Formats: sequence, C-alpha cells, structure tokens
Amino acid sequence: MPPRLADKLERDLSVGTAWLVVLAAIAGAEEPIHGYEIGRRLADEAPEGLSFKQGTLYPMLRAMEADGLVRSTLVPSTEGPARKCFVLTPEGRRVLAAWADTWRRTSRWVSRIVGGLDGSK
Amino acid sequence: MEASESVPGHAAIRGYLARLGAELAECDAALRHDALIDAESHLRAAVRAGASPERAIDEYGSPEEVARAYRGTDDAPGPWRREPATGSAGLAAVPAGDPWSPPAVAAPSARTRGFRGIPIIGIWANPAAWGALAYFGLVGFVLATAYFAWSVGVGALALVLMPTLLGLPVFVALLGSARAICLFEGRVVQTLLGVRMPRRTQPVEGAEGVGFWQRIWCWLRDVRSWLSLAYLLGNFPVSVAAFAVTIGLLATGAALVFAPVLSLLGIPFASVDAGDDVTIHFLWYRLVPSADGTISIPGAAAPASIAIGLALLTATLWLARGLGWMYGHVVQAIQVARPQPVPPRRA
Repeated sequence: MPPRLADKLERDLSVGTAWLVVLAAIAGAEEPIHGYEIGRRLADEAPEGLSFKQGTLYPMLRAMEADGLVRSTLVPSTEGPARKCFVLTPEGRRVLAAWADTWRRTSRWVSRIVGGLDGSK
Repeated sequence: MEASESVPGHAAIRGYLARLGAELAECDAALRHDALIDAESHLRAAVRAGASPERAIDEYGSPEEVARAYRGTDDAPGPWRREPATGSAGLAAVPAGDPWSPPAVAAPSARTRGFRGIPIIGIWANPAAWGALAYFGLVGFVLATAYFAWSVGVGALALVLMPTLLGLPVFVALLGSARAICLFEGRVVQTLLGVRMPRRTQPVEGAEGVGFWQRIWCWLRDVRSWLSLAYLLGNFPVSVAAFAVTIGLLATGAALVFAPVLSLLGIPFASVDAGDDVTIHFLWYRLVPSADGTISIPGAAAPASIAIGLALLTATLWLARGLGWMYGHVVQAIQVARPQPVPPRRA
C-alpha cells in the first residue's frame, strides 16, 4: 500500500476530530485550563502508536478564540509568569454539544459498517 | 525529578526557540512572536511539571512541524502525528512531504480577488486602505492628541513631584499606562490598518517571584516601556502631519470631482460679491464671476477635473495604505520587542 494511503485515514481523522477533542478537553476541566494541561491530557489519552504534538495546539486555540468558541484569561501563577488559560464560551458549549452528537452518530454508523469486517481478509 | 534547576535559562529551550524563530523568520513578526511565546510558556510549564527539556521539546513537536502549524491554516491543523517506528529521543526530522501537514493555503488568484486585483485602481476595494484613511483622517489624530496630552500631563506631574519622591511612582505609573495605551493602540491599528498584532505580550523572563522594588526596576529597564512612551510622544506630530495631509488631499480630490458635477447641476462652484473684480484659475481655465457673483466650472473642464480628482483620491488611498503599513509595523515592533531577562538571583 502506498505510504500516502496508509496514513490517509489517520490524517483525515486527525484533522476532523482535532477541534472536537480540544473543545472536549477544555469542557472537561473544572476551571480555566492552560494550554500545557490541555496538551498533556490529550497526549496521555492518545491512542497507541500516535502521539499528540502539543505545539500544534496553540494555533488551534487562537483560531477557536477568534471564532468565539473559547475565551482566554491570564491567570496569575506562583511558579512563573501569568498563564493564559482557556474556558468555553456559551457558543463553544453549543458547538461542542452539536459536534459530540455528530461524532456519536458517526461512530455508531462507522462501527456498524466496519465492525463486522475481519481485518485479516 | 528531571526538571532543570535553571529553568528560565535552559540552553535546550533557548536552542529550540532559536530554531523555531528561524523557521518562522519569513513570517509576520507578530505571528512569530506569538509562536515563540506559546512555545516558551509551554516548555517552561512542562519543565516545571517535572519533564526534562528534551522530552518536553519532543512532545511539543519539531520546529518544522510547529512552524508549519502556525504558517498553515489556523483552523485546520492536523495535530496527531505517527510516532517514529524506532523510539528515538529528541527531535525527529519531518520529511518535506509530511502527509500530516495541514493543507497549504493558496494565494487568492487575480480572478478571485476581483476588482481588488486590478493594478492601481484596485486600491478602491481594499478595506485596509479605507481603514487607513479613517485612521489618519480622524481616529488616529484624535487618539494621538489624547495620548500626547496624557503623557505630557502625567510626565510633567512626575517631574514636579520628583524632589518629594512621589514623582517616581507617578513616573512608573506613566510607563505602565504607556504600555497599556500601546496595547490598545495595537488593537486599533490591527482593526483599521490590517497589521497583525501579537495576542500576548512577552513575559519578562525570571521576573516571577521578585519583590516590589525589583518589579519596578523591571518596568524601568524594560525596553517596551520606553518605546511605548516614545511612541505616545513622537506619534503626536506625525499624526498631526498625517491628518493635515490626508484631509488636504481628500478635500482637494473631492472638490475636483464634485465641483464640475455641481456646476452641471446648476449649483455654482463659488460665489463672490457682485461687482468684485475676482479671477479664479481652475486648471487651465480662467473663471470669471457672472453678473450675480456666482462662479461655475465650465462644462469643457469637467472631464479633466473629474479625472484629476479621481487620480488624486486614488493616490490618497495608496498613500494612506502605505503610511498605514509603516505605522502598523512601528506599533508591531514595539509590541514584539523582547524585554531583557532578570538575572538569576544568587543563593
């Protein structure tokens, strides 16, 4: 199989799910969460064989902020300079709820179609 | 514990930031500034949390990968990367044709840019040119006058109070306000002049946990404080000149375009007291008042007048756009200036 095709599904899934998982990680935090903690959480939960390059997170957070999905605040830190922490906006919560629903329906559909296949064949 | 004791000045992080900066050398200064602050803040947080700098850098991504994410579309990066087959430590080189790269953004073609893509006259459809016209023709002048009055007023108060030592906190407050005003000015400039400003200011490295007096000392030696104050003072005469030139050119251009139109509609260009011996030279025409004192543009002069007026207005838009680009980059340079780090305290 050509290498381009070998990675195609993961690449497409990566692009398609990145915003969803980042929004979900922010929503899952009890208080405003720093970019480092978001990246750490996503890296810890990364599927086997894949790693999350945390440096790509920040342009995404900026784009989300520009789109009004997240809001950033500078939180003073006793260990260093003030940290830029993120929370979801009401619009971000609405978008996350809609996307999560789409994801659940899509994953159920994909599982039904793909689930019966035997990968060895 | 893997964390280095000398976190603020760790060589590996400095080296990584230098490589990331080099990767983004051709990008906008504000974008590069943001990318470097993001990386520095993240890597130092990782090291403080117990990771080694090398591991933190590996997890953050190579400078090439991270630079690609910043250069590419902000809204569609592909953050998941396949781990190298071998468990190599440090930074793995990313092949040029990395399939995980975000899609490249194609420059808009002349066709998609429409009227804006037409040479010279396309400036009429350029929002940044109209924003610059609004900035130099009104907003910038008003703000510059307010900034100047504030700086001179508070500066004079600080000078008067200096012998009583109260002048020092007033002066430090002036420096602080100058920085805040410059940040605000950056937002205005970004909105009207279309020059991207950094999203966050660079924290002073090593300034965390210092005492009150050291903090004041940090403010006094921070180059951004002085640059901001210099901008507030120096901006005033430049803004007054830009305002005068912009309004003068706009008024002249508009008069040349609309005066013949008004004359054609029967509305006189000007009027003088009847009987006054006045002659007005308009282009290559001599305009003599009629018996009732009204002066009109002759119909034959209308095409040339309108053409010259439109050319002048077009030139004004280009001038405003160019001046706006220059202005925006001066404000951007102040905001991306890197402050001197606070030297580590001796044990």
